[in-house]
Amino acid sequence: MIRHTLLFTGYELRKQFSNPIWPLFGIMQPLLYLLMFAPLLRTMTPGGTTVDALRMFTPAAMMMIAVFGSLFSGFGLIAELRNGSLERYAVSPAWRPAIVLGRVARDMVVLVLQAVLVLVVAIVMGVRIGALDLVLVLLLMAATGLFASGLSQGLALTIRDENGMSQTINLFMLPLMLLGGLLVPIAFAPDWMRLLAPFNPLYHAVEAGRALFDGRLSEPAIPIAFAVFLVLAVLSTMWSMRSLRKIAG
Amino acid sequence: MIIQAHGLRKTFTTRSRKGVQTVEAVRGVGLDVEKGEIFGVLGPNGAGKTTTIRMLATLITPDAGTAVIAGHDLLKEPAAVRRHLGYVSQAGGVEDTASARAQIMMAARIHGVADPGRATAEALDRFGLTELADRPGRTLSGGQKRRVAIALGLVHGPPLLFLDEPTTGLDPQNRANLWDRIRQLRESGTSVLLSTHYLDEADALCDRLMIVDHGRVVAEGTPADLKREVSGDVITLRTDQPGRAAETVKALARETRVDDDLLRVYVDDGEHTLPGLLRALEEQGVSLTSIALDRSTLDDVFLAKTGRTLRDAGAAA
Ligand SMILES: Nc1ncnc2c1ncn2[C@@H]1O[C@H](COP(=O)(O)OP(=O)(O)OP(=O)(O)O)[C@@H](O)[C@H]1O
Ligand SMILES: [Mg+2]
Repeated sequence: MIRHTLLFTGYELRKQFSNPIWPLFGIMQPLLYLLMFAPLLRTMTPGGTTVDALRMFTPAAMMMIAVFGSLFSGFGLIAELRNGSLERYAVSPAWRPAIVLGRVARDMVVLVLQAVLVLVVAIVMGVRIGALDLVLVLLLMAATGLFASGLSQGLALTIRDENGMSQTINLFMLPLMLLGGLLVPIAFAPDWMRLLAPFNPLYHAVEAGRALFDGRLSEPAIPIAFAVFLVLAVLSTMWSMRSLRKIAG
Repeated sequence: MIIQAHGLRKTFTTRSRKGVQTVEAVRGVGLDVEKGEIFGVLGPNGAGKTTTIRMLATLITPDAGTAVIAGHDLLKEPAAVRRHLGYVSQAGGVEDTASARAQIMMAARIHGVADPGRATAEALDRFGLTELADRPGRTLSGGQKRRVAIALGLVHGPPLLFLDEPTTGLDPQNRANLWDRIRQLRESGTSVLLSTHYLDEADALCDRLMIVDHGRVVAEGTPADLKREVSGDVITLRTDQPGRAAETVKALARETRVDDDLLRVYVDDGEHTLPGLLRALEEQGVSLTSIALDRSTLDDVFLAKTGRTLRDAGAAA
């Protein structure tokens, strides 16, 4: 079981990095956000410096990569459903969940690499964060990504159509982003949005991330976020593994 | 016996805007495949070939029926069945970005082959892929992809190989080439179950075959037996009065069949029947546009069993 999961993880990673240009582009995106959005945000933070803005925005950028980078990773599965390679693995003695778990694990590895890069840039730009906080932020991001990646694989196996899949993701993307306070902190939002925000799991992740960047370790948002995302990650991964049964259609 | 299957059935339900539709893809198919045999499933588009193979490959659960494959029950021990299989789907299963070598190596590892590197090199060599081995799958031509697909299904040396329409889309030379490779498998003791809608392929390659149509087996046997059952030769006449011509030659034929302006006359010995047949037609004043004498083919078997030719059946599906 574990052997097969590792096999698939290694195989997927090698595929991912066989052309390093795409993962590199993937990493560019959050960096661009940091470089171009944080200065914008600065004008909105009262009396803020760029570092203040970054401290608020970096955790949001990390959750954004975690969710939206991973949400699109299921597209690969649709292609493999079509070219028959998924079917081929399903007939092999491979432990079936490994087919999905290998992909989810690949997404985790890519995510951590991206996160480290973002953190390095943020630190170079003057943000300071404690070691424990940093590890917790990375873990939280991994849990968020695990949820999104599992969800994406499950969606791909259920929808089985690139067009339908991208429409579905886009539909959820904007409200999730804005209601999560990813771009603009939810404190700026009108009352009804602030009421809705706690129902958005991302909101908790971002709140917890900001608390960690501020060094407020006792903030209740942190355990809440971890609990929410661990449960969601387990659920979405289980769902995607069950969706594998639909390979044969 | 490497495959023993009885009464396999599968009905698909599809939901669309026009409501729920059910398709009885396979309705009671049984087959027995001997060890080391090439067994063919011949049938037109939509006959249920792929569905049958996918059931036997543990991909879809049959609605009814049983099968024992390589000594293991299909329904109770699917994992054990999978360990004995090589499966090459109609789509092929060649990935776009990974190289042929990487994909074959991965397949070898998944199957727990002792020395994956060597097995991969051998499989590449066997299918003349060494030159192409490091190109991404998407850059390969249709025929090259087919060879990769089969190498993927064979790298672990399975005792039983499923090939779903292995030669569709290949040029005649590559097709003949692949036939040779499949025959070599038989020599090495591998059993092969292959589906096809090509008559010549079933005829040339298969030790035994079954003809399926609308999810049912309509005939089964060796190609020679099946053709003998229909009759030895077929004389095809084109005429304005096929009905009258049929009436005239009835006494000389085992069977006649009218299809528009075409009359097929099934006889045991075409060469010796032909002169008498022509004389009789002349006496009755039936004029002919053309005449042909052929050995009967599997298409004639299909025609005799279903009332349609394989070509028509394919077009209608
Ligand atoms: N997943 C599915 N859902 C619904 N209907 C299906 C499904 N798979 C096959 N069918 C239907 O079952 C019937 C048999 O299909 P199958 O693919 O087994 O035919 P085939 O003999 O392999 O044909 P071909 O030569 O075109 O590959 C067809 O009418 C097809 O439309
Ligand atoms: Mg088919």
